[in-house]
Amino acid sequence: MTVEQIEEKQSAPADSPGSGAGTRRQYAQEVLALARRWWIELLRERLNLVFSLAQPAIWLVFFGAGVERAIDTKVIGTDDYIGFMLAGIVTFTIVGNGVSGAMPLLWDKETGYLDRLMSMPIARSSVIVSRFVFQVAQQSAQILLVVLVALALGVRIATGPFGMLVILLTAALLTMSVTAAFSALAYAVPQHGTFFAVAGFVSLPLLFMSNAFVPLEAMPVWMEVVARLNPLTYAIEAMRTLVLNGWEPRVAASLAVLLFAGAICLALGTWQFRKQTGERVRG
Amino acid sequence: MSPAIETVALRKTFGDNVAIDALDLSVERGDVFGLLGPNGAGKTTTIRMLTTLLAPDSGAARVCGFDVSAQPSEVRQRIGYVMQRVAYRGLLTGRECVEIEAALYHLPRREIPVLAEAALDAVGMLPHADRRWTTYSGGMQKRLDLACGLLHSPEVLVLDEPSLGLDVQSRHNVWEFVADRRLGGATILLATNYLDEADRLCNKVAIIDHGRVVVQGSPSELKRSVGADVVEVATREPERLRRVIETERWVKKIVIGELGDLHIFVEDAAVALPAVMRIGLEHGIGLERVTYSQPSLDDVFLLHTGRELREVAMAP
Repeated sequence: MTVEQIEEKQSAPADSPGSGAGTRRQYAQEVLALARRWWIELLRERLNLVFSLAQPAIWLVFFGAGVERAIDTKVIGTDDYIGFMLAGIVTFTIVGNGVSGAMPLLWDKETGYLDRLMSMPIARSSVIVSRFVFQVAQQSAQILLVVLVALALGVRIATGPFGMLVILLTAALLTMSVTAAFSALAYAVPQHGTFFAVAGFVSLPLLFMSNAFVPLEAMPVWMEVVARLNPLTYAIEAMRTLVLNGWEPRVAASLAVLLFAGAICLALGTWQFRKQTGERVRG
Repeated sequence: MSPAIETVALRKTFGDNVAIDALDLSVERGDVFGLLGPNGAGKTTTIRMLTTLLAPDSGAARVCGFDVSAQPSEVRQRIGYVMQRVAYRGLLTGRECVEIEAALYHLPRREIPVLAEAALDAVGMLPHADRRWTTYSGGMQKRLDLACGLLHSPEVLVLDEPSLGLDVQSRHNVWEFVADRRLGGATILLATNYLDEADRLCNKVAIIDHGRVVVQGSPSELKRSVGADVVEVATREPERLRRVIETERWVKKIVIGELGDLHIFVEDAAVALPAVMRIGLEHGIGLERVTYSQPSLDDVFLLHTGRELREVAMAP
């Protein structure tokens, strides 16, 4: 039997103890209990809370007041620079949260609490899923705040309140990809130094190699090709269209791509998590 | 009823390093079973396999009759695991930690506050329940881990070096807790490299070394098997002394410990003590110290492995 088979054998039955409503209730109980842990920590880290909530809004104000004057509106294709940047800022926030959101998982791994969790009769996925639930909730608050600031600065969302909901949904989908990818990284690295080195290395290029600051039409061809492979591009495209243009078919197409990317990242995250919890500590 | 823990030819390797090699253990229900051995003997690897954290390479391990590889969730429901390292719990209070873990064990939501208080009370942490974990001393953090380990009334409680790094008072607290728990009927698997701890708490011990069981039985059986008495001699010429006395009729076995002390296993110390001194004098071998003792688990370990556990254990 190969190691993978043993791991599979070891971890597979945990996801399916019993059946039906009882199991679903147990799963919900696990996810809520784990999310409660993150929630309490966030509330007690007041500074962290204040800064992470306010950061995107502050960015938007700075961009709006400063960079706007240096921008050629013909290049970005609209006079509403803040409206144009809104999607970029939201995405920026999601990437930042992806990095900081994987940190608690990294600490649990390094301090050994993950082992304690894995010795409990919980579904393996509830650890990661609880993190998603928490991240999406925390982020929705941030995004609502930054949108309110944008509204105050004169941005009008073309698709109205319902479009606002779809923007939150888009953000949640991208969060799934980003959180899963950085969680996979957190579980894959030998220790946190590597995590920060890699995360620091990829997050800015990830943003610059998307349409966060420059529309695809204005990019050189090679850059557009790279940007087209970047899930961030689709999230930004969907959100930007919803803010500036209105309901267009490309919103649905972008959401579909995001869903696909999310599924891949989630599979990656689960695979690394399994690997991590299957075979690790030397005794 | 199936044994609480049973392993058959259990094996685990990490690359070329054979951590566990054909390990056979059988722990009866209600036992306080000591897994005794020096650092690196394979105690933690064994525990990681029994707690479903590590998949065995070959052989079988069953907890309460459930196979750790094939039925891990059944195993997880029945064990409480207190890790060697204190679990990091960030900014939470003790009560919050316990309540969250109670939910992870799927205890009924309405009963959780009561059960959490009972568990905290059992380890004397109720007065500190609402303080943050970061303000706890090492001993209190360990007791909180113990509380979490017994929350769901596990059939098997696994304690990995529960008193490692604790001060004397906290260590006694942990010991009292283990002694009380035994009355509750749960099986306890206690990994330790402290001989006095195993001797005091366990009704069965297995001494393991290099991933194998060297010997197992009750502490008193094991000590009886050593022979009646042990005479320890400190001398500058241990090898020479060994040569001149090993032919004596009253000598059962001689082992030279890592510090160069001679451990002479004898039928009767009353005969052996004067004889050792006389022979030393006759051959002009200076004896710095001669003592005798009832055999301890250290002597058991020494007899079977040729090494002294307390020195191996104290080595960094």
